[in-house]
Amino acid sequence: MAAGISLYFLMASIGYASALGLLSMGLSLTFVTTKVANFAHGTIAMIGGITTLFLIDRYMYNVKGLPLFVTSALAGFIIAGVTAVVLYLVILKPLADRGSDVIGLMIATFAIDIMLQSILSMILNLAHGKHFPKLFGASVQSWDVTLNCCGTQIAESHVFLPVAAIILTILFHLFLTKTKFGIAMRATIENPDLAEVMGVNTKAVYTISWFISGALAGLAGALLVFSLKDTSPNNSNLIIVSIFAGSILGGLGNVYWGLIGGFLIGLAEKLGTQLLNLFYNNYLAPSLHLPPFSFVNYEKLMSLGLVIIVLLTAPQGLAGIDWGGLLSRMGLKTARSRKPEREV
Amino acid sequence: MIGVIQNPFTETWILLVLVYIIVTISLNLEAGFTGIPNFGKAVFVFMGAWAAQGIGIRLAAYLLEKTDPGLAAEALKHLQEIGIGTYKSLVQAAGDTDANRIVVTSYIYPYFQHHLALAALLFTAVLAIALALSAAMGLFASFAAVRLREEYLAILLLSFSELMVMVIFQQTTSLNGGPQGIWAMRFGSNGLRTALILAAVFAAITFLYAEKLANSPMGRAMRAVRDDEIAAGVYGRDVARIRLKVIMVSSMIAALAGLAFIQATPSTVSMGFDRVKWTFFPWAYLILGGMANNVGAVLGTVIFLILQRLVQLLPVYISGTSTTIMTIIPYLSNILVGVIIILVLYFRPQGILPEKPSKTVDFHRILVEEGE
Amino acid sequence: MAPILEVKDLNAGYGRFHILFDLNFKVDEKEILIVVGPNGSGKSTTLKAIFGIAKVYSGGIIYRGEDITRLPPHEKAKKGLAYLPQTNNVFAELTVEENLRMAGYTLPPDVVDERVRTVLESFPFLKSKLHDKAKSLSGGQRQLLAMAMTLIREPDLMMFDEPTAGLAPIAAKEVVEKILWLRNDLGKTIILVEQNAKLGLEIGDNALLLVSGRIAYYGSAKDLLANKDLGRLYLGLAK
Repeated sequence: MAAGISLYFLMASIGYASALGLLSMGLSLTFVTTKVANFAHGTIAMIGGITTLFLIDRYMYNVKGLPLFVTSALAGFIIAGVTAVVLYLVILKPLADRGSDVIGLMIATFAIDIMLQSILSMILNLAHGKHFPKLFGASVQSWDVTLNCCGTQIAESHVFLPVAAIILTILFHLFLTKTKFGIAMRATIENPDLAEVMGVNTKAVYTISWFISGALAGLAGALLVFSLKDTSPNNSNLIIVSIFAGSILGGLGNVYWGLIGGFLIGLAEKLGTQLLNLFYNNYLAPSLHLPPFSFVNYEKLMSLGLVIIVLLTAPQGLAGIDWGGLLSRMGLKTARSRKPEREV
Repeated sequence: MIGVIQNPFTETWILLVLVYIIVTISLNLEAGFTGIPNFGKAVFVFMGAWAAQGIGIRLAAYLLEKTDPGLAAEALKHLQEIGIGTYKSLVQAAGDTDANRIVVTSYIYPYFQHHLALAALLFTAVLAIALALSAAMGLFASFAAVRLREEYLAILLLSFSELMVMVIFQQTTSLNGGPQGIWAMRFGSNGLRTALILAAVFAAITFLYAEKLANSPMGRAMRAVRDDEIAAGVYGRDVARIRLKVIMVSSMIAALAGLAFIQATPSTVSMGFDRVKWTFFPWAYLILGGMANNVGAVLGTVIFLILQRLVQLLPVYISGTSTTIMTIIPYLSNILVGVIIILVLYFRPQGILPEKPSKTVDFHRILVEEGE
Repeated sequence: MAPILEVKDLNAGYGRFHILFDLNFKVDEKEILIVVGPNGSGKSTTLKAIFGIAKVYSGGIIYRGEDITRLPPHEKAKKGLAYLPQTNNVFAELTVEENLRMAGYTLPPDVVDERVRTVLESFPFLKSKLHDKAKSLSGGQRQLLAMAMTLIREPDLMMFDEPTAGLAPIAAKEVVEKILWLRNDLGKTIILVEQNAKLGLEIGDNALLLVSGRIAYYGSAKDLLANKDLGRLYLGLAK
């Protein structure tokens, strides 16, 4: 591989970026349907992570014949999805119906986040005392199965994540374009009043969108746990920064771009920081006689920096850029001629 | 009973009340009056603390070195003798996590307790730095989103606060001692007393200032920004400018709280300014007490701190509490706070004390000096 | 023949804003009723009140002899009423085909297929645009798509709210011709709100002139068009 970057690290970065893509996509989904900026999204993902820990402790590598990461992904998917739906129906929807504005709902998710973190910490704490002495603060990396490939070792979860992300995105796309309910969901996102007139049950649409969002988060969290150095729920404090960065980069109102945005942010954080690290320590510092410096611990700053750049230059994110126009101007696409629009 | 009031735990509690009054009012100016959802309040409180910690303590060492080089040399020699290390200057030693405690407790504190004029100078400097730093932070943290929808502002401020407190200050040991932390500059012989005095003075100033601001033309402009009035939106530039101003001023106020607080707990690490304690709680206090109502902010703070104190004291009065309950009490406390926030948002979003209409100004002043 | 729609002593508005006062009129089957009047007189509100999107304070809406005043909009749609709002009447991000399918959301799948085919015969230009997003259509085309969408439900009474607003004259003419075709060829009953009074009154049978929420004239459309005073006062018709 390229100097300094192992295949393992590359796969880990791709794995992380895929997880983040799913997370940002889920965040954009609930934002675009219910107008909620979900600050608890990272912690919902952590539910998946905690599930994995419990599964590891009870079943080790195989759960009744299935590999560990498949079961933990499934379990995280379901549990987090259900949790998200419960949170929506019990807290957020009633507040919205009561007339709570965007800020009120944000505050509610902020509160939910802290309550969830407390609950998860409580569970871990109690489990630490009683049945699962191995869990608390455990480094889960050692549980990840390694594969032998291309002359070196890579982790299973790092392969599973991008594959899962691709499959899920394709499924989701098919859902949105080929199923009656999926089309109704897109219609509701665009114009809920008109959709209601056509007989769509918008409440069901919103509930399903929260399930999907939570489920994707749970799956991502279940697998991400393998790459994190420690497993305290406080990790979600920082992951939410990256999730929002991904959504903003993609454009808060666009689900597909959310996936891409999250993926790019993930790559920037892991791969980008490492490249910067190598560049600085192997080239820049020696030639300018600067002290060595490890950027690795500051990878989150990449996301923050990118967010600021996006907000300053193109706040609508990648979704807001006129790709058609850009491609035409670059000569790669002929501009489509249209009938003149409404005239004044 | 008197014992309960006079014991240091109660004094600490009173300090918390005063400190949080400052923070909650500062949040009120942003969220209550101007509609700015500041989910990153914690970092601005921390700035006030850092002005006394990483910056203040080095400044103190510098002053000591300049005014009594002999003492400084003696300190450095002492550090070498007891095997802590060799340092080029007292400033360097003060900032180093190994040497900091000895330098601070054996040399810096006693020195400034005996040189009051110098201490006053140092205090003024630290105060000025705290204000300037937090204002600059406020500007830097929000400028990118200040023209955009509130969601972006909330996200940016939260991200900024988390990264500052959890990443930058946590990882970069030279800034504030990293995870180990370094001691802050403390004034006076009794840190708690100093903290109480400072907090009381700051709280009073903050309250009076906030009330004055709320009833001024600027206060009306703030409310216009919050309520999305068309007039405020048409003058798009002004919306951004007003938000920036409010954030910067509120950040300065928050820093005052941090500066007072750190006097009592000089060794708090940067991670001690986490978002549960310094963002989440003030939001809870404000929502309960009443948004856009300064008296409400005070009220909410007091009520919640009483509640939280009771939850803390609970195990003391329940005999035979198992360790299980002991461990989950802090978590239950957070959950309780969250539940209360949501209940208030649902049943009475305006809080206990709703917003008062801003006091009318006499006609002449309206005609002559209206608008920002 | 009994009228297909009767409106009796209708008072309606939005929340606390009382817009319509004591409206009384009827529409016969296959009639085109034009609703005209100055801005803010309550023309759109009339349609919305009939369909159930605006609040009815008092009065009755009788459809084919049945009192439907309190029914929710989608129930009224099932009975055969259709309402075409002025804007946001198609899903811009969905394709033309998806729009048509959405219009038939509550119908069984095979019925939807059949209706879509039928509608496409009436609006052949849509056939080549089935997979284009609705937002790529021009203003006039979008109105025709919206019209096609309402036809999926095979309504009997169709209510249009200023369908020609913002359209170039040629597009407006196309829309109006299509409305006439709906009545002449398909036998639909039409209530049409028109800002362009001349255009509306030329094709209407009867007309309702609303001023400040009250009926200022209710009778033959041709007569209203010829009435110089009312025309000048309220409708901006010169001479």
